[in-house]
Amino acid sequence: MVETHPSPSSRPSPAAPGKFLTFVVAGEEYGIEILRVHEIIGILPITRIPRMPRALRGVVNLRGKVIPIVDLRAALGLSPERSSDSHNAIETCIVVVQVRGSQVGALVDAVSEVVSIAADQIDPAPPFADSSNTPCLTGIARAGDRVRLLLDIEEAIPRDVMGEIENAAVA
Amino acid sequence: MKRPASAEVAELASSCRPDDHEALVHLLDAVAALSADASLPPPIRALYSGAHAHLDAFAVSGDPKSLDAARAVIVAAARRADLRQALRAEPSAAPDRPASAQPSATSDAPHLPRLVPETCDPVLVTEFISESRELLQGAESALLILEGDPDDVEAVNTVFRAFHTIKGTSTYLGVELVASFAHNAESLLVRMRDRSIRCVGGYAGLALQASDVLTDLLRRVQREMEGAAPLPLPDLAPLEARLTKPEQFGISEEERRAAWRTQADHDREMAGQRRGTANLETSVRVRTERLDRLIETVGELVIAQSVLAQDNALAHTIDPDLARKLAHASKILRELQSLSMSMRMVPLRGTFHKLKRMARDVAHRTGKLVTFDCIGDETEVDKTLVDLIGDPLMHMLRNAIDHGVETPPERQTAGKAEAGHVTVRACQAGGNVVVELTDDGRGLNRARILRKGEQLGLVPAGKQLTDAEVYALIFAPGFSTAEQVTDLSGRGVGLDVVKQSIDALRGSIDVTSTPGQGSTFTIRVPLTLAITDGLLTRVAQERYVIPTAQILFSLRPTRAALSTVLGSGELLLLKDEALPIIRLGRLFGVEGARQAPDEAILVVVTDGTTRAALMVDDVLGQQQFVAKSLGRGLPPAHGVSGGAILGDGRVGLIFDVHSVLAALRADARADRAVA
Repeated sequence: MVETHPSPSSRPSPAAPGKFLTFVVAGEEYGIEILRVHEIIGILPITRIPRMPRALRGVVNLRGKVIPIVDLRAALGLSPERSSDSHNAIETCIVVVQVRGSQVGALVDAVSEVVSIAADQIDPAPPFADSSNTPCLTGIARAGDRVRLLLDIEEAIPRDVMGEIENAAVA
Repeated sequence: MKRPASAEVAELASSCRPDDHEALVHLLDAVAALSADASLPPPIRALYSGAHAHLDAFAVSGDPKSLDAARAVIVAAARRADLRQALRAEPSAAPDRPASAQPSATSDAPHLPRLVPETCDPVLVTEFISESRELLQGAESALLILEGDPDDVEAVNTVFRAFHTIKGTSTYLGVELVASFAHNAESLLVRMRDRSIRCVGGYAGLALQASDVLTDLLRRVQREMEGAAPLPLPDLAPLEARLTKPEQFGISEEERRAAWRTQADHDREMAGQRRGTANLETSVRVRTERLDRLIETVGELVIAQSVLAQDNALAHTIDPDLARKLAHASKILRELQSLSMSMRMVPLRGTFHKLKRMARDVAHRTGKLVTFDCIGDETEVDKTLVDLIGDPLMHMLRNAIDHGVETPPERQTAGKAEAGHVTVRACQAGGNVVVELTDDGRGLNRARILRKGEQLGLVPAGKQLTDAEVYALIFAPGFSTAEQVTDLSGRGVGLDVVKQSIDALRGSIDVTSTPGQGSTFTIRVPLTLAITDGLLTRVAQERYVIPTAQILFSLRPTRAALSTVLGSGELLLLKDEALPIIRLGRLFGVEGARQAPDEAILVVVTDGTTRAALMVDDVLGQQQFVAKSLGRGLPPAHGVSGGAILGDGRVGLIFDVHSVLAALRADARADRAVA
């Protein structure tokens, strides 16, 4: 196990142990606190909204409620989907999470499982040279030879895609 | 605790009679003293100087308007002084306010006694507050009727019962202050109920004051329940003294000319009130969240059912028996839906009540005589709408009386009746609520409005405007042709705010006017904000809903009707105008949209000011839809005002006519500016 010395830069507090939902995006496995997850649904037809940030794919109808869908690949700054990935399309699903007071659907390539991760399995997130995306990384979980990147989903979804809710008037 | 001089003087000013010379001299001295009082800030001192000038004028001319003006200013000054003290006593006063070095006339009491005993059940108190509010509303209505018809027995009883009930409940709950004040007010009202005095003149004014104070006390109780810091209480002793022994203060039935007269209204009111009290007894209180949840769920059921009905499998293998069962279910569901929507509907009566009170106050303050009629108070609108439509209406009413209606001498010179006639009429028409405000005053001054419009740069040079276009200018920001900014209106921030409020409700406002004869403002607002009619259109694979209310017509243009103008885009040529064509495919970046306008459909839309033709591939039909927000935290979507669940379960985007046409206008103005 490599000992890492976190530099005193501004980083979110390291992930607390507990239950996590793990999923795959662009070949990497991630985990988010299960308490943030509202539900998991299969892919639905997404209605595109014109001239929105690339990470915002559009909206779907979830039992009569309209919720926005965020493409986690784009939100995390990962490589865009190549058409050769389409054979995985069946597994693509939407993880509905609660972010800054609203429900948002995060588009992921596949959902793995719900796991309990203990404190001694979590290493603090190492400082990367390009730290533009690490604010949302709260730790690295190791179990056997599986590595899962733990995310703070509130930070992972950029504010210019989904901001704070003010007391909006009539829709 | 010594009473602030400002409050005492205000008291004296309100109650002194025009022929009571001694009181007037006393008032003059007091006001002069206050205008020189170094412990008051300059703005308040200036107010008292102004009041002094008015009083002087009254002393010289005997013109009651001067006395009224003085009174208004003195009361305003007292209120401001009160507010200052309240702000300084509150622990959460603005932090950047410099520490006041002026000694206050009253001691800042950080620990004011509680209004409601600690042992009280908060649920009971909350119910007490809302029930008492309703009772006081009814009492206020009745008092206004009594001013016009003092012999109305039913109205007197209504007022008395209100105070009596509030006294009883507050005694039971231990809210001492409210109980004792209600008790004192009751001593005046019981005399009215026993017919030893009539509710007119000074007595009527006193009763209204009592009602106002009690409403204020209830507000304070509510504040306390919500945990807000208590404000120092006004001194109720003088008012209570007048309530119990009015004659000692010279208050009597003597009438000031009642600026308030309405008989037809009274008849309607009484009928309505009897109906109203009956309704109270057979109704149930339901928490709003539960009601909203119920309506939301019914909405989801409607959508789910329509998805079911449009399911391909069902459509193709349609067994007649099955079809009948489905139709039956649909029918019941439609009824359920309209029932659930109607549960949120509330009559405009409450709003009209506030308007009547305001009309009376404004008429008094501006020295005008006004007959105010409200027609259609049983018209129902969605609960959320009622609150939002009240403010624009009140502002327009204030305008109508302050600026529209002339003073009695002016009206006489013009050969009109001394009292101006203002009417508010409400009804439901074609899925909208229509509210009309008419006055028979001086009407709008077209020339002055046009001039002001040119000054503000709103009128392109040399362009001929129709009357409607000229009058529509008054809704522009910063517009006011009032020569004098009065305390009430004329600051030029009113009507544009009104228009914005109406726009936010997806409504429209029009004005017509005849110089010298009056004006009519018409507000149209969709009945419910939730369900709207729309035209479903297709551009390539995307679908957009255009609200029917903004569609004028649609057509497939011939080549001859199309024209391109270099630098100004594409135009649709109609017989008397040329409309810009907006390609939705280009606006929304949709690939695969039809390119030739004569092979597409043009939907002509309007937002009340501008017209344009939207180009789509196909029109798929008309449907009712529930407008849903796309996600409140999302950045604003250009050209899209929300989402609608379509029959196949997918989300269709609702086209935002207002913002797209506004952007068009802004571009056009920018072009003109450059040219």
